[in-house]
Amino acid sequence: MKRDIPDLVGGVLLAAIGLFVVFYTLAHYEIGSLRRMGPGFFPTVLGAALALLGGMVALPALARQGEAIHIAWKEGLAVLAAILIFAAGLDRLGLVLVSLTSVLIASLAAPDRRIGWRIVLALVVTALSVAVFSFGLKMTVPLWPGR
Amino acid sequence: MNGWDGFLHGLSVATQPGVLIYCVLGVLLGTFVGVLPGIGAMATISLLLPITYYLSPEAALVMLAGVYYGSQYGGAVASILLRLPGTPQSAITTLDGYPLAQQGRAGVALFTSMISSFAGSMIGILVLILLSGALAQAAIAFGAAEYAAMMILGLVAASTVGAKHPAKSMAMVVLGLILGCVGTDVNSGEQRFIFGQTELMDGINLVALAMGLFGVAEVISNIRVAERTGVPPRVALRDFLPSRAELRRIPFPALRGASLGSFFGALPGTGSTISSFLAYATERRISRRSEQFGKGAIEGIAGPEAANNAAAISAFVPTLSLGIPGDPIMALMLGALVIHGVQPGPMMLDARPDMFWGLIASFGIGNLLLLVLNLPLIGIWVSMLRIPFRWLYPAILIFVSLGVYSVRGSSFDIFAVALIGVIGYALSLARFNPALLLLGFVLGPLIETNLRRALLIGRGDPMVFLQRPIAAAFILAAGALIVMAVVQVLRRRSTDAVETES
Repeated sequence: MKRDIPDLVGGVLLAAIGLFVVFYTLAHYEIGSLRRMGPGFFPTVLGAALALLGGMVALPALARQGEAIHIAWKEGLAVLAAILIFAAGLDRLGLVLVSLTSVLIASLAAPDRRIGWRIVLALVVTALSVAVFSFGLKMTVPLWPGR
Repeated sequence: MNGWDGFLHGLSVATQPGVLIYCVLGVLLGTFVGVLPGIGAMATISLLLPITYYLSPEAALVMLAGVYYGSQYGGAVASILLRLPGTPQSAITTLDGYPLAQQGRAGVALFTSMISSFAGSMIGILVLILLSGALAQAAIAFGAAEYAAMMILGLVAASTVGAKHPAKSMAMVVLGLILGCVGTDVNSGEQRFIFGQTELMDGINLVALAMGLFGVAEVISNIRVAERTGVPPRVALRDFLPSRAELRRIPFPALRGASLGSFFGALPGTGSTISSFLAYATERRISRRSEQFGKGAIEGIAGPEAANNAAAISAFVPTLSLGIPGDPIMALMLGALVIHGVQPGPMMLDARPDMFWGLIASFGIGNLLLLVLNLPLIGIWVSMLRIPFRWLYPAILIFVSLGVYSVRGSSFDIFAVALIGVIGYALSLARFNPALLLLGFVLGPLIETNLRRALLIGRGDPMVFLQRPIAAAFILAAGALIVMAVVQVLRRRSTDAVETES
């Protein structure tokens, strides 16, 4: 069976978002008239347009071979984990600890399996970010746990 | 202030140490990220956006612009040496640049690209000076209907011209417009789509959106790809000198490319990538040596490189004189201006002459610097290509997170970057263009405000857009583009069907 999966899924999702926007807007915001548009007017039109376009992307995809896609799971997860830990820890643990941890986690995705360069990299990046953001730009950010 | 006086005034602004240093910084950083495949001007500018809070608006804009046109110079380096475009704008340069490098003429290819880039920029600056003044004059007569119609034309052009799947491009623009609605509605004060999150009351943070879509998503998709790049050949300074015959093949293609680029750059919606492709097609069509194209034709480098640089400069025409960004990078620049409380538009020439002319003068200085610096520094840039991506991307991630945190000291925005990054990666996997999403996001609130105002003035009659000649012309042009896109898709589909049957 020929299917262009990325276009099919993407189109259906976009259409769903469009429909959601239309119904959510109709339920919550005033539409108004052309002369005096309410806050709901523009989003409703846009939602309907997105639903239509999503359909136009998805329908032809039903009958055509798509290109194979390769999802970089490992890389995506490592990057995501690094950012999430940074976000969750910055206020509590301070920039130094959280930056060391995040660089180490992010570097897990790299194909080079050795350890040494990761530690050097973590130290260098942490030193750089403290120098640039905390000392250079005088940004208010905790450096250590409990300030 | 006329063009020449203005330019002189701009020089006095741009040569202030506090501005000049950021010009140098911008072009060097731009060349650096342009050279490196896997990180481009888009990601870098979004990375720098929060830092510009700490600078004067002039310095900020000069630096960001320097990154943009600097990356156009750098992009050609990886294209020529590794057949790996450093930036999308220089993708076409791989076609003739890489064969030249394989023949041991990498130096000549690099020389051609740098000198053509410089020529393109200079012509772009000339066009920018000539057009901006005239356009700003004309734009004083623009009302809400004209602005709304012009922005709609820009979005339609961006999603149809040169697009393989116009429906996918348009869907991205519309999604961007919807995301632009999030937050407090300026007209009614109603809070839309915030789902109880007070952080969203001011709307989705532009910096978080840009960094997620371009910083994080690009890192994820490049970790594996960028590791596979080969080792670039060494290039010595004396290899740069082209023969007289080769030199003679540069000026006319560069001139044609620059004209094409200036034209398409200044149109809203079409930018430097498209103009470099058009310049290549033009050169191949009119050349007497068309059989050499793809095997190392000098013209195939000179034309596109001049075109993308000219377009990068002339893209500032609608951004500065109308306040309408023509391409996604300009949308970020506009965002930077708005961060600094500067409203670009026809009034800016008179209200902020320092800003306007200073920026233009900095283009001249920056491009001269790029030309003078890049030839001797080329060895350093080439050695940059030897830095493995695994040393860079963790640093990029930390700087992205800290940068977005610095905007208002909120961890919420870092979480938002992570989520947007995943969405951006999914979009790029399915070949949706996230740059168009950003363009829609920035233009959305402007379009909505002008649309509402125009209809209020027109007493709710949508014919107001067709009764005013300038607005009508924009709307008709947008309609024509949509019809052309539909016809093209249908024609392609029917030829595909014939091919599968036979």
